[in-house]
Amino acid sequence: MAARDGLSVTLPPAEASPEPTTRPSGPLLRVDGLSVSYGPNEVVTDVGFALGRGESLALIGESGSGKSTIARSVLRLLPRGGHATGRIEFDGQEVLGLSERRFRPLRGRAIGFVPQDPGNALNPVRTIGAQAEESAALLDGTDQALRTGRILETFAQVGLDDPRRVYDAYPHQLSGGMLQRVLIGLAVLPRPALLVADEPTSALDVTIQKRILDLLSRLRQDLDISLLLITHDLAIAAERADALVVLKDGLVQEAGRTAAVFASPASAYARKLHADVPALNPDRYAGLRAAGFRRLETGAAVPKIEVSAVTKTFTVDGMALTAVDDVSFTVRAGTTHALVGESGSGKTTTIRLLLGLDQPDTGDIRVAGEQVTGRSHEALRTVRRHLQLIYQNPFTSLDPTWKVEGLVREPLDRFRIGTRDERAVRVREALADVGLGEHLLARRPDALSGGQRQRVAIARALVLKPDVIVLDEPTSALDVSVQADIVEVLLTLQADLGLTYLFVSHDLALVRQLAHTVSVMHRGRIVEHGSVSDIFDNPRQAYTASLLAAVPSGIAERARWPHPRFEAVRNEACVA
Amino acid sequence: MSVVSLSSAVQAAPDRRSALRPRWSPLQMSPTVALALAIVTLVIAWSLAPHLFTSQDPVNGVPAHKLLGPSTAHWFGTDHLGRDVYARVVYGAASSVTSALIAVVIGVAVGGLMGLLAGFLGGWVDTVLARLVDILLAIPRFLLAVIVVTALGFDTVNTAIATGVSAVAVFARVMRAEVIKTRQATFVEASFLQGGSRWYVLWRHVLPNASRSVLTLAVLQFGLSILVIASLAFLGYGDPPPASDWGLLIATGKDYLRWPWLVYAPAFVTIATVLSLNRISRWLRETD
Amino acid sequence: MRNAYLRYAGIRLVQAVVVVLLAYLFTFVVVSILPGDPVTNVLRDPQNGFTEEQIKTIIAAQGLDQPISVQLWTSLSGFLVGDFGVSMRSTRPVTTLIAEVLPSTLILASAGLAVALLLAAAIAYGTQFLPKRLGQGIVRAFPSLFLSVPGFVIGLVLIHAFGFQLGLFRVIEPDSAWATVFAAVALGIPISAQIAEVLIANLDHESGQEYAAVARSRGLGRVRLFAKHLLKPSSLPVVTVIALTVGELLGGSLITETVFGRTGIGSLVQRSAAAQDLPVLQAVVSLAAVVFVLVNLIADLFYPLLDPRLKLVGGTERRPTSANESAAPAPGSVTG
Repeated sequence: MAARDGLSVTLPPAEASPEPTTRPSGPLLRVDGLSVSYGPNEVVTDVGFALGRGESLALIGESGSGKSTIARSVLRLLPRGGHATGRIEFDGQEVLGLSERRFRPLRGRAIGFVPQDPGNALNPVRTIGAQAEESAALLDGTDQALRTGRILETFAQVGLDDPRRVYDAYPHQLSGGMLQRVLIGLAVLPRPALLVADEPTSALDVTIQKRILDLLSRLRQDLDISLLLITHDLAIAAERADALVVLKDGLVQEAGRTAAVFASPASAYARKLHADVPALNPDRYAGLRAAGFRRLETGAAVPKIEVSAVTKTFTVDGMALTAVDDVSFTVRAGTTHALVGESGSGKTTTIRLLLGLDQPDTGDIRVAGEQVTGRSHEALRTVRRHLQLIYQNPFTSLDPTWKVEGLVREPLDRFRIGTRDERAVRVREALADVGLGEHLLARRPDALSGGQRQRVAIARALVLKPDVIVLDEPTSALDVSVQADIVEVLLTLQADLGLTYLFVSHDLALVRQLAHTVSVMHRGRIVEHGSVSDIFDNPRQAYTASLLAAVPSGIAERARWPHPRFEAVRNEACVA
Repeated sequence: MSVVSLSSAVQAAPDRRSALRPRWSPLQMSPTVALALAIVTLVIAWSLAPHLFTSQDPVNGVPAHKLLGPSTAHWFGTDHLGRDVYARVVYGAASSVTSALIAVVIGVAVGGLMGLLAGFLGGWVDTVLARLVDILLAIPRFLLAVIVVTALGFDTVNTAIATGVSAVAVFARVMRAEVIKTRQATFVEASFLQGGSRWYVLWRHVLPNASRSVLTLAVLQFGLSILVIASLAFLGYGDPPPASDWGLLIATGKDYLRWPWLVYAPAFVTIATVLSLNRISRWLRETD
Repeated sequence: MRNAYLRYAGIRLVQAVVVVLLAYLFTFVVVSILPGDPVTNVLRDPQNGFTEEQIKTIIAAQGLDQPISVQLWTSLSGFLVGDFGVSMRSTRPVTTLIAEVLPSTLILASAGLAVALLLAAAIAYGTQFLPKRLGQGIVRAFPSLFLSVPGFVIGLVLIHAFGFQLGLFRVIEPDSAWATVFAAVALGIPISAQIAEVLIANLDHESGQEYAAVARSRGLGRVRLFAKHLLKPSSLPVVTVIALTVGELLGGSLITETVFGRTGIGSLVQRSAAAQDLPVLQAVVSLAAVVFVLVNLIADLFYPLLDPRLKLVGGTERRPTSANESAAPAPGSVTG
């Protein structure tokens, strides 16, 4: 897999780039006073920025910030009902007002597009090759055989091992990482001057994410392409872009050269965003975490969860698949243990076994000394009273037909705890613990934001006063600023109540912020475990090291990929 | 010029969270939905208290006034026996609405229960019920209704029962699919983890979530049942005249095509009603 | 892959046979068990003028004096070899009766299906390519309107407008070309609505998909996007819908034939129902079930060959696996 890395592929010189000598002056893309609305709702308001030739610019924002809408406006691919006003100049020409017929030749040839979710970005009922031919058709004056040759060449260029097989394949036969390589290949094939990449890696695993970003950086240099990068991740933006535009609710909050914005953000929002990115603030919760570390050091923490030599095999399509292979770990009372791994590593299966939702083939699981494995449904109930789960996605873990009060009270009702009035009091206490007011009691999940929903889910888990809470990627469906709020709530509760957490995540930066001990899972096995500082500062396994290296760390990456014309462009900008 | 220009002032962004909408409000209702609701309400009112809407006699006509065209005195004209067609339509509403209601209740109760059990219990129950549904689907709906009404005997209530039987399969399929979808939802697993029993989860979580689609389908089927029952009445499987089911009115009118209002007036009422029900069903689906 | 398909085809075939047999059984049960008694209702009806002697002969010939289980066995074994017994009303073989009227109904049904397909395609095309106001506002309302009109009303309107007013055809010549065309239109309109609804929903869904936007970002125009990308995934599910409308075509023929005064299966059913001629009804229902199951079997067998996404595993369509990460990659897929 490593050998297939896009970086190891030698690239042909960018012979196809048109007239490199007579470069017109002025920025390649200039957006001025852009506003976009859907009916009465304005989602982008008076946004302006400019992207120089050969430069890269990142639009940063959380969900609802309008960043993707801006990208779609540049491509003039707004969904039905979207209406854009203002000016968008490409290569000195106003394009927002052009007729569709006159704008269309620019798409693909001059402006390429790399979408967010590679799994949905190719027609599922046509072969990759048939769709690649559409891109190749944009190359002028070549015959069919030549065009196919160029497609295969490009597939090799973007690091696809077996171009012929990819050409003949249907999209569902390729992995997400490969599809994203295909899409990048199709976008650069007609040699556009500008590439618009809309969250090109957010649907991918962290190690693949890094390879795709490296590939984009590489192609940009070799093919002389400008990049408009849309991302929610400040660290990625800082690593990969020359300039940043920070957006919130459709308004520009801050804009400028990456180094300047990153080092000293001027706007309150950019400062908060910077403070909320885990990768940039590994010690943010040091104070809240201290109690757990003390417990570990003094040996006061007794084992709360003991998983020993657990193995689980599934049969899928007649093939045996060992999802969890001889996994053992211990979580001590009052501490957070993180289970880290990419998708398919077996971490979700492990927690399903822990909760008794599946039974392991072999091995033993104990929670607070009580055996979980091999129990009846009734016997599991008593264990589960002290063992709660918070799900990844608060949009699916709350019954949409229930109100908040009923949702939080449900565990009390099921375990018949206290009188009616006592239950009502405990519901309000639990909501107060997670920072939600009583005015939300009568709301249904529909009327709550994502962060509020996850708080309701946490309140539901807390209301039984459990000792152990299993957190299955509890913030991965949320924006980074909401994630910071939720993490703060969780860590405060732990400091106050001495809760024990098993925290499942793929996000190493987040784990570094909040966990005490870590187990790294890979293909069903635990490859490494230890304290947070051991794992993060001195990883012993190559896999752990590669995971750590893939975490975007802000400015550091720029040193590794110095932009050849970066200096020149800056000078040009100063002169102008 | 700097490469990056800052054109919009940095300002406090409005809080878009406050814009989160409640599930629906009357103000958001589109005019077509409002019209549809008004029409359905009117038809229900006709069927509950027809005498409030017309003073004419639907059964005994005035022979001297036969086959008059629509006028202010007779909105829908008169028929071959001099009866007011509007009065006959209004008095026919009760029978048409009630029989459609019977059909839907049979479909929801029998089909819904079958789908619920098949989807929730799975295993052999699902297999057996799935085959039963396959059989019901294999026989053309209208033919099935004809067979059942032939076996039961010709009258309007029996056409309603037959229509209900022919709708069982559709409800069973939708309910089963919804139950299976809901059963796999995360919040159902969460409820198990909170100590909920199987039947508790079925009753409190699965059923409320699955019933939304069934409600939408029930409204749609209500309209469809009016059509099927009208067709059965048209073919003569319902009550004989002087009953004034809408389908029967049209059937009688077809022998007098020279006086087209005898067909068009009851047909127009039928179409308006069914169209309104379809619109309401669509609206329920959209606001989900 | 090939073995998986054969296995799937085999299982579908067995299921189809089982459903047909059970449908036969079900109809038998409905017509035999339910309260109405055809012997008293029909044979002893003074209008028919059967003597007691004749009634006895008919009862013996139909086997109505036998226990129910024997009757079922006789009937079922006859069905398996294509013998549906003898009509109670006319004492002629049921097979002959059906064979006489089947061609007329087949012509009507196929013409109706052709009308439905043309109309559905025109409506779907209109929603995509007509100017926005016309396409969105008017054409989109057609399916809903068509579904709200009783089938016989469409027929009556056509007869009134084209037969009476314009004189294009005469009601007393129901088998003339024009009469057949209008009957087919009356039959096809409600069915076109069902097909159009699915087609429009699919086109809307597919054109809103990310891949459509990405294809446009490669410089594709609307027409090429429609023809090369949207048409196939939108119309594939319509194959299933068309197969399902076979039942509607048969049911609709019943009404349309009555309205237009045509002879056919519909009029046969009408007469037999009125006379409670159970052998004929049983035969028509069984044949309808056979046709329906057969058409849907063919659609089911073709579908996986048309849609590359469907992988056949263990005789059933492979459902998308759950979000559970333990799911293995699909066999034959390339991992990267």
